[in-house]
This record gives sequence, structure tokens and C-alpha cells, in this order.
Amino acid sequence: MSLEDASLDIRTGELLAVVGENGAGKSSLMNVLYGLYHPDAGTFQMDGKPVRFKSPRDAIAKGIGMVHQHFMLVPTLTVAENVVLGREPTKRGLLDLDRACDEVAATAKRFGFQLDPRARVDTLTVGSQQKVEIVKALHRGAQVLILDEPTAVLTPQESDELSQVMRGLVAQGRTVVLISHKLKEVLGVADRVAVMRRGRTVAEVRPSETTVSELAALMVGEGSRGAAMTGVPVTAGAVASTGLSGTGTTGAMETRPPAPSSIGASQEAATGPVVLEAKDLRATGENGRPALQGVSLTVRAGEIVGIAGVDGNGQRELAEVLTGLRKLEGGEGTLLGGPLAGLTPALAKARGVGHVPEDRLARAVVKAMTVEENVALGRHRQPPFARGPWVDFKGRRERTDQLLATYDVRPPDPTVALQALSGGNQQKVVVARELDADPKLLVVVQPTRGLDIGAVAQVHARLREAKARGAGVVMVSLDLEEVLALSDRVYVLYEGRVTGHFAREHLDERELGRRMLGAEGSHG
Amino acid sequence: MGERTRQVLPSVLSVLLALAVCWLTIALTRDADTATRAYLQMLWGGVGNWPAFLDGGSGTAVLRPLGEAAMKAALLTLTGLSVAVAFKVGLFNIGAQGQMIWGALAAALVGAHVSLPGVLHVPLALVAAAVAGAAWASIAGVLKLKRGVHEVISTIMLNWVAVSLVDNWLVIGPLRAVAEGASSITGTAEILPSAQLPRLLGESSRLNLGFPLALAAALGVWVWLSRTRSGYETRAVGLTPEAARAAGIPTLRRAGGAMALAGALAGLAGAVLVLGTEGRYPGSLGAPYGFDGIAIALIGNNHPLGAALAAAVFGVLRAGGTRMQLLGVHKSFPELIQGFALLFVAGRMVWLALLERRQKRAQAQPPATSQAQVEVPRV
Repeated sequence: MSLEDASLDIRTGELLAVVGENGAGKSSLMNVLYGLYHPDAGTFQMDGKPVRFKSPRDAIAKGIGMVHQHFMLVPTLTVAENVVLGREPTKRGLLDLDRACDEVAATAKRFGFQLDPRARVDTLTVGSQQKVEIVKALHRGAQVLILDEPTAVLTPQESDELSQVMRGLVAQGRTVVLISHKLKEVLGVADRVAVMRRGRTVAEVRPSETTVSELAALMVGEGSRGAAMTGVPVTAGAVASTGLSGTGTTGAMETRPPAPSSIGASQEAATGPVVLEAKDLRATGENGRPALQGVSLTVRAGEIVGIAGVDGNGQRELAEVLTGLRKLEGGEGTLLGGPLAGLTPALAKARGVGHVPEDRLARAVVKAMTVEENVALGRHRQPPFARGPWVDFKGRRERTDQLLATYDVRPPDPTVALQALSGGNQQKVVVARELDADPKLLVVVQPTRGLDIGAVAQVHARLREAKARGAGVVMVSLDLEEVLALSDRVYVLYEGRVTGHFAREHLDERELGRRMLGAEGSHG
Repeated sequence: MGERTRQVLPSVLSVLLALAVCWLTIALTRDADTATRAYLQMLWGGVGNWPAFLDGGSGTAVLRPLGEAAMKAALLTLTGLSVAVAFKVGLFNIGAQGQMIWGALAAALVGAHVSLPGVLHVPLALVAAAVAGAAWASIAGVLKLKRGVHEVISTIMLNWVAVSLVDNWLVIGPLRAVAEGASSITGTAEILPSAQLPRLLGESSRLNLGFPLALAAALGVWVWLSRTRSGYETRAVGLTPEAARAAGIPTLRRAGGAMALAGALAGLAGAVLVLGTEGRYPGSLGAPYGFDGIAIALIGNNHPLGAALAAAVFGVLRAGGTRMQLLGVHKSFPELIQGFALLFVAGRMVWLALLERRQKRAQAQPPATSQAQVEVPRV
């Protein structure tokens, strides 16, 4: 993460968006503004006066507030307790909780948030938790609010709501800095857009004077303009019309071997053998409530099956059941020739199930281990990663070097700790590992969440490649555009049930949306 | 700063700082000269008085202290390894003391009541001790894995159960050696000569097979963790259990196995104490080597070789500690040094932050044309 000659001016009462690929320096720049990092060179002025922040405390004192991508909330405390944390109102030396609640309720009301100050944070949805973070910053008197990838974790509805919240804040004279790489969304909400690339600010544009494709080109850099555009799932129509460009290359994908030409033919009906046949699946979610209440689905080799739905409607649990991570409590199914009941992660792997989970750091990687150790994870008992009971260092290094080159992981160093890589490169490592095992069924959940354009395009190309090689792919995504762009068939989940099933030629965004909100319809 | 330096330097600095603080303590309460001479006595007591030896002194002046230091280092290495191994799988084993007690008792019983030739007797007694320690640790392991009982709580409590059962009942009751004549014997019966760990430097030094055994254990644990599939799995389980589970690693088996190994290592420490020096299970096990193991593991950064190194340093200091009394300085200073070192090493992140700031300042001397390298603070 580095910055090199980055400049930014922020004007009072505007909504400024900062866009750029992962590792372009957006977060670094914001962390400098917030006093977390200290610049080696350069100046920083507020209201015309040079300032220097030693720590976030200084930044907060000057009215800068930040909402991090990963929330900084104490889950077991209430909304009010979280908001006043660090500056609690007291009565005779003791915490005055009633006053805290009143104060927080007042702040929330003033900015039009609906929040119960006495609710425990861990009972709130992700969208509401984000509001708590925003209220926390406002409560501390933030005039400038920095939001780091705020919509990465939100449902479409929550994202819309957030846009209104941001506009509302600007209307009340606050300044909002939005870091994002969802270009369509940025163009819809921002007053001004700053584009960063490789640690520099390369352009500043007004939404009315630009397009998504132009922004994308600016982000990726000249020379790869066309490819960047085709790789972006802007709208379903746009992607379909570019012929599902598996062969496109961006700057980030130059070393990738050309994809098989059959990839483009995603409209063809899947004719491969059934790899997954599931009937009436039932399972309990993390919170003890029924998460799957009778889900039936079929997946064939050589097709991508999208699972659409608003977050928290059973998609995660479905993926967990298919990978042996969650116990099946009812229903039956056949997965790659064996029963679905009693599946364990080891058994699933042995049958040929690949898994790209949603929560990468918790489930897909051991971040404190090296890149090569992570490449081996899950296949560490077999060649070339092991010889007998011993780790095969040479074989592991060779395979890792090969994969890092093929998937363009930067830096291509197998010996660094995985946590030293950017999120996009971490995900490339995970995808490389899972596809290298040549899975017969690939279960991917939110595969491009939080990734930049180059990485998104690459992951999408890889999923199509897996399909072309004859894998059945189950893709859970909250990003409707992604589902529409990649899926041959789509199941819609609502409250643990299938409320819609569409073949690609019958996909309709509005109808999908209706089913996602629970509207009934005959199963396609 | 290289990764290796980041791991080693805080421990080294902590030990040095602890030495300095204790020197200062003596210097302030007595005088600087006494403090320095006491430290020299401690050193000669630990590694032998080499100047005297080279001036023509007897070999004993060197061999005896070295033997004492090696003996203590062996015990600290084994208990330190015990704590470190459990830590690698994410468990904090406070129970090395209790596991060591059972290991010592098992070794004492096999040593005294089984009749075998030496080549078989010693290994059998060692195995018995390892099994006993592993079994005791596994109680905490099973409670953790099946019932979610926190291992810190269960191992602490099991220590007291072990002390109560062994020291306060078995050893003074059913297993007490039959008194011969009027002499009162505490503890269990003497082990047979065939069960004694062979002395390596003759009778003038107590250095016995326990020291190479402990070193081999450290080396073995290191090779296992870094070079084998199961060692890799164990580390993965310790670092990110959910990712290990998703990768098909049998997490419970790995955690249970590491905990049992931890117990076996502590049990071996008990055997080395009984078979090497004590000759029987004494009335009470005495020195809390099991608890020292926690300090040794942490100062050794939970690395098997680091633990062995820390054990060597504190083995030397402890063996030499008694000689400080010649100058009227209390012999507990080595323990005090160990305590301070543990305290300082607990601030590992503080050390690293200080070192990095120093380094940054050094780098900032030439005008900053290099691009900013920002390290994300670990939260």
C-alpha cells in the first residue's frame, strides 16, 4: 500500500467520490486524512491552514469522521453505548446511560436515522450497524465524513438507503467522501469523482460529464481501455452484448493464457451430467432460526447456477451445506455420486467440490501463513504438496510459482505472509487454489465482493473457464448484476425457500427483484 | 526488519533489560561492585569458572556447574516445549506442572517396581511418564473439545488436583516407601540403578541423558511443526480454526493431539527429574518447573528452538544463582530475572513498535524519495 504524489481537494458541503482499483491507494490516502498514517512528504491543509494529525484523535478533533469497511463496534454493547464510547456522559462519576440514549436518539433524529439506541448492536442488520457507525461519527461532531467501501456489505435496498442518507448529510451542510469502486453507484450519488491509480490521483471528473466505461478506463489506465470496459458487469445488457468476454485482457490479466473459445457460448443449454440433485433441503442458521426450509435444486456439469436473493435468506447456509460445513437437517440429495447427508468438508473435497467462501479471512485462508502454505491448504496431503507424511517444499514452491504467474498475483512472492497481500490478490490466491484442484462442483459465495475492476473481470473469466472445463458452478451473489452476467440458470431464495427459478433466456431483472422480495410465482 | 529478527529481537532485548534491572536493584540496595561480582558468580556458577580452569584449576570447577545448568535447562526445555506446543494449536497450557507431577510419579513407579535391563528400563520409564502426562493433559483437552471448557481454567484446576492426589495423598500414603529402621523416608521407593539416566561426564557432574533428550525433543517438535503434514495442519488449526475446518483438516483431532503431546513433554520433564537426579518421587515435587515452562515458552516466542534457547539461558542463571549467596545476595535473583524478562517480553508489540520507529528514523535521514511503505497495524 503506497501513495505517490497523490493530491485531493475536498470542498465543504459536497459529496466527493474517490474511485480506484484495489491497491490504488484510496484507503491509504484516507488513512492519511484520518491520522492513521503519516505522509513522508507533502502538505495537508484544512481551511487554508496547514495541519498535521498525529493520530485519529487529532482528526476527530478537527471534525473528520471515518466509517471503516470493517465496523469498529462492540457487538455486545447497545447502540447508544457504542456511539458514546470514549466520551460517555456521566453523572457523579458514573455512566449516565439514560442521557446517552437521549443524546444518541437526538443525533439520529436530527439526521433522519431510525435507530433504537437501546438495541444491542449484534442484533442489528449489517445496514443498521453501518448507520450506527455513521451516527457515531456525527455524534462526535464530524463535519467531514469518510466512508470506506460502505456498500460492499449492503443489500441493494440498503445501498439505496445509504445513498439517500449521504445526500441528506450533504444537504445539511456536511461533507462526505465516499470511497468505492462501484462506478454506477458512484455516478448516481456523487458531486465530483476523483480517480486514483497506482498511488496517484489521475483525474477528477463530474458525473454528468463522464460515463462508467470512461471512469473504468481511467482507473485501469490507458492501453487496456477496451478490456476494462468489457470486464465490468455494468448492466446485464452491456455484458451480454460484449459476448461474455472471457478472452478480454486487462493490464492485470496479461499473463493469463487465452481462455477456450467455447466460453462465450453460455446461452447453450447445459447438457452435462447432473453433479448435484437436492430435494427439500433444511438446515438451521447461525442464529438458531431455520435458514433453509425446503430448498430443491439441480446443478449440471458445465453450467453456472446463480443463487440470487437479499442477504440473509439462506444463501450462505445453502453453500455451507453443499461444502459440508453445515449439517443437513432435512431433505436429501446426491452430490457427485454420494449422499449429501453426512457430508464433511474433507469428504466434499475428496468428491471434487471446490469452495470460494464469502468470508475469506475466516474461512478460506490462514492469513498469518505464507502464500505457498495457503496455496497448499486443503490439498496439503497430496502431491505436489506432500511426499508421504512430509511437506514437499520443492513441489509446493514450483506449483505456487506457477499459479502466482498464471493468476497474476502481486507480488508474485510465495514466501510472504498472505495478509501482506491486498484483498484482490488474496482472492486471486484462493481462486487459483480452488480451480487448480480441477473441481467438479465449484461453490462460490460473493466471489468478487470488495474487489476492483481488474480482479472482478479476472474472477469472472475464471468462473467461465471452470464451467467450460465441465465444472458445475453454484454462485451465490448479492450483486444482481453479477448473477445476471454469469448465470445460465438462476434460483431465487427468499426466507429459505426457492421463490423463483429462471433459465438464462427468461431472466428479467424486475421479475428477479420481485421474487427476491418474496413475491410468489410458478417455478420455471 | 526481517521476519526472523522480528521474532527473536524482542526476547533478547527483554532478557538483557531484565538483567539490567536486577543488576540495578542489587547496585542500589548494596553497591555496584557487589552487583557486578554477584553477576560474575552467577555466571561462573552456571557455565563454570573458565578463567580459574584455564589457570590450571580442576576440571570439576567447570564440569559441575555445567552439569547443574544442563540439568535445569533440560527440565525447562521440556516444560517450555509443553506450553509452546499447546500454544501452536491455540491452547494455553497452564497445566504443565500437574502433567509433570504425574509423569514424575509414573517414572518413579516404573523405575522402582519393574525389573528390566537398563537399555529397556529407561525407555519404558520415559514412555510411562509421557503417557501419564499425556493422559492428564487429555482430560483438559477432552473437556475443551467436547464441552467447550476453557483450557486455562481446567488446566489450572487440574494442577491442584494433581498436587492433592499425588503429593498430599499417594506419596505420603499408599505409595510411600517402607521405612527402613528408624530413618524416615519421604517419597516413593528408590528407583533401581537400571532405571537411572546415565551420567555423561562421570560422577563429578550431574549432567545426564536428560539434556540431550530434551534437545532432541525440541528438535523433533520443530521438525514436526515445520516439515510434516500433520504439523502444518496443527499450525493451521491454531491460527485460523475455521479455515482449517473448511479445508478438511480434522481440527478436533489436531487440537487433541497437540494437547496430548504437550502433556507428554511435561510428563517427560517429570521423568528426567526423577530418573536423572532425584532417584525417587520426593515428598513433594518442589521446584515449579511446570510453571516456569510458561515463562520459557513465552520468552522463546513459542518456537520450539526458541524455548530450548531460553531454557539454556535460564538454566545457566539458575544453576549459578546459589553462588550469589557467597556475596550475601539472595539466590532468588535468577527467578526475579526470569519474571522481569517475561514481563518485558509480554510487551512484544511495544518492542517492535520502538524498533520500527528507530528504523524509520534511520531511513528518514536521506531525503525521502522512496515511496511510502505503510505497514498496517495489526489489530
